[in-house]
Amino acid sequence: MDSSLRKLLPWFTVMGLLVGALIVAAFYKDQFREWKIWQRVHIKQELARAVSDAQREAALRIPVEIRQIVLPDLRRVDRCITCHLTVEDPSYAGFKQPLAYHPDHAQHPIEKFGCTICHQGQGRATTREAAHGHVEHWEQPMLAMQYIESACAKCHLPSDVPNAPKLARGRVLFDDLGCIGCHKLQGVGGVIGPELDGVGARHGAEWLGKHFRNPAAITSGSAMPPIKVGEQDIEALTLYMLSFTGERLSDYYVSMKTIPGADAGRRLFTEKGCMACHSLAGVGGKIGPALDEVAKRRDTKWIIEHFRNPQAVNPGSIMPRFDLTEQEMRALTEFLLTKTDPNIVGFLRIPALMTPIQRGQAVFKKYGCAGCHGAGGMGGVPNPNAKTAQQVPSLKFVADSYTKDELKKRVLNGQREIPSLNPKGPPPPLYMPPWRGRIAEGELGDLVVYLMSLMPKEEKVTF
Amino acid sequence: MLLQLWKQFRDSRVGRSVFRVGVPASNLERAQAAVSSFLLHFQPAKVNRRTLQFSATLGLGLISLYLFIILTVTGVLLMFYYVPSTNQAYQDMKDLEFVVTAGLVLRNMHRWAAHLMVISVLLHLCRVFYTAAYKAPREFNWLVGVCLLLLTLGLSFTGYLLPWDQLAFWAITVGTSIAAYAPVVGEKLKFLLLGGNVVGQSALLRFYVLHVVVLPLAALFLMAVHLWRVRKDGGLAQPGEAEPAQTVVGLAELPQNKTYGLMELARGTTPAVGVQPEEEVFTWPNLVFREMLLFLGVTALVLVLAIFWNAPLEELANPVHPPNPAKAPWYFLGLQELVAHSAFWGGVVVPALIVVALVMLPYLDRKRVGIGVWFARERKLAVTIFTVCLVAATVLTLVGSAFRGPNWALQVPWKPLAIEER
Repeated sequence: MDSSLRKLLPWFTVMGLLVGALIVAAFYKDQFREWKIWQRVHIKQELARAVSDAQREAALRIPVEIRQIVLPDLRRVDRCITCHLTVEDPSYAGFKQPLAYHPDHAQHPIEKFGCTICHQGQGRATTREAAHGHVEHWEQPMLAMQYIESACAKCHLPSDVPNAPKLARGRVLFDDLGCIGCHKLQGVGGVIGPELDGVGARHGAEWLGKHFRNPAAITSGSAMPPIKVGEQDIEALTLYMLSFTGERLSDYYVSMKTIPGADAGRRLFTEKGCMACHSLAGVGGKIGPALDEVAKRRDTKWIIEHFRNPQAVNPGSIMPRFDLTEQEMRALTEFLLTKTDPNIVGFLRIPALMTPIQRGQAVFKKYGCAGCHGAGGMGGVPNPNAKTAQQVPSLKFVADSYTKDELKKRVLNGQREIPSLNPKGPPPPLYMPPWRGRIAEGELGDLVVYLMSLMPKEEKVTF
Repeated sequence: MLLQLWKQFRDSRVGRSVFRVGVPASNLERAQAAVSSFLLHFQPAKVNRRTLQFSATLGLGLISLYLFIILTVTGVLLMFYYVPSTNQAYQDMKDLEFVVTAGLVLRNMHRWAAHLMVISVLLHLCRVFYTAAYKAPREFNWLVGVCLLLLTLGLSFTGYLLPWDQLAFWAITVGTSIAAYAPVVGEKLKFLLLGGNVVGQSALLRFYVLHVVVLPLAALFLMAVHLWRVRKDGGLAQPGEAEPAQTVVGLAELPQNKTYGLMELARGTTPAVGVQPEEEVFTWPNLVFREMLLFLGVTALVLVLAIFWNAPLEELANPVHPPNPAKAPWYFLGLQELVAHSAFWGGVVVPALIVVALVMLPYLDRKRVGIGVWFARERKLAVTIFTVCLVAATVLTLVGSAFRGPNWALQVPWKPLAIEER
């Protein structure tokens, strides 16, 4: 053996030991997993609770292993229950996380829904940070409980979830503020702003909240006017936006949206002619009792039974038995119990009962005109550098400057170029889009009547 | 007890047939060990003393081979868990990280070994250039080496797509669009490679098959040729080497009325002719032990990297949401940097020139000077040209990888530019 080789021999020992140690280190690191700690805590808890040897043995037999819910339909594997072992065990109610019981999910059995479809986060992960999704390169961190109702909208219509008031409020605000005037949602809406499909996946709650308060501060050059509503309504709007995740779920889950809810109940209410005898907000017949506050007097069970057989629950009632399916009865009941809109006539959308002005008002809302022209067309929405006082013009006095036909033409053709206050400055970001082809002839007529009616009577100027 | 059993097994008929030569004790047995063992017969029984010097080669070829072995072993293990489907691939990466025993460390080893192999093969090329080891009779082996370099890049590039995350998707999208700049065949080549016009399921499947079957087999074959040629060409290039015989003896020149032993048909003299015996040492153990030590070193390095640094995994691939900037794998970033200035130069001229220059090099630079000597004085011009190109490539790659931010704007790596939100 060469002497130079002899000098190298100790290095064999060193390198051999080093490689060996590294392999051991790699395996040790691999075997040490956070979730094992919690599974042992669970076993310890079960042991402490055991009252007999048999129970103690059963506790000791609980395996320490990965647990998961495989949900091919949702394309998910949720391993949350690897640490949250007791979500279905009521005896762990109020226990410290991760071993807490999850109350109130009887309608959403865990083996059918898993966890992340509502809570988000990273179902496949098995470390706390990664599973809760607060890591780089994971786009859906766990939804803060404050916004959890947004997840309901993945399967339900926003107005249909009884326990999601914020979601319903967000939906109402979205309509009232006229967001649809500029933004497209599921193919319907204006073209000035970006489409909102999938907006919940693109932006987080924080971004959305800040953006509503001051859009230009977050997106430079944004044409969107600041949304001037209270903190709670900002939260509701944010929550509603978060519900547009762009996710496509399989039929089993989205079919919830086609099961009749309050919205279908509203339609049935007018179709079945309930208003021939009953009234809402003073509109309708006087033969039967008014239904405005029926929710205070009756519960779901009573109303459904009443539909099924009126005289059985209310002897002497002259209400005839209608040929309603089970689902129709539920939908009507849901409507009667949850209707919240004070403008009930507009809400019912029974054109025959409405005046042209009321119909025009509904059209004004449907197309989101308020988004730019302000609530009730009263203006006040900023449009920087527009000649019209750097605002979108109010519609209060259109009756003065336009004939009906001129106004119709104006709505149909729109106005792309808005005159600038300072010709050298950037052009005003908001403009009037053409509504031709999007608004129906009858709607346009009603809208114009409504707009003409905005002029206060006493201020009418005559020439 | 165990030793006893082992001894009995060694002495049995089976044992003797498997382990024909024991740990060699005499010089005869040392020679036999090299000649009769499959793994050692790539090397001659005796090698030049200079071969043992680390500074002669820096062990770069061997390091590349070891990395290839590590990559094969970890790659095969990873194949047990990986499905090349756009629905499944990314989830499999997550499962490797979160539930597969040693899955993360395997993936890390594979990833880091792959990057290391690209580096070591490139450095190996530099070493061979700087020691003029590509000159006759080694021109062909240089060619084989260039092919192996391209295969290494191909292996790394095809493997890059497999995790199916944003990094993979957009690196391959950018990389294949650079390929599309080639005139006439560019677009066709891209289509052939991707199995379509965009990176999708068929691209993933193609890259997978190339990555796990076609390219590794091709590389394995060429490595065998590469090593075999090293022996045939007389081992490492040595200073003062005799000029090789240029002609193979043609059968026609030989008298036809006698039979020939194989030795008489071989060309020139064997590499051993003219070498002083005192300059030769037995391969076993002198070379083999050093090689084994190097293997331990390489394994240790890969393990350290794999334990302390995780392989990157970004968001699930999203074809409608490109990252800003979208970057090719690092070894193509020099080209991408050029493409940012001129698609024609970066996408066509420069890569073509590089390959052509590498292929032509041993046939253009034929002067027998500086063989086996680092940065020989007599090769000042060649060394300067190569070094300038090397520095240029390094600078371009550095700029492309570290100094380019959103919209390919210049930035400093420690103060990245912010991406404006949409």
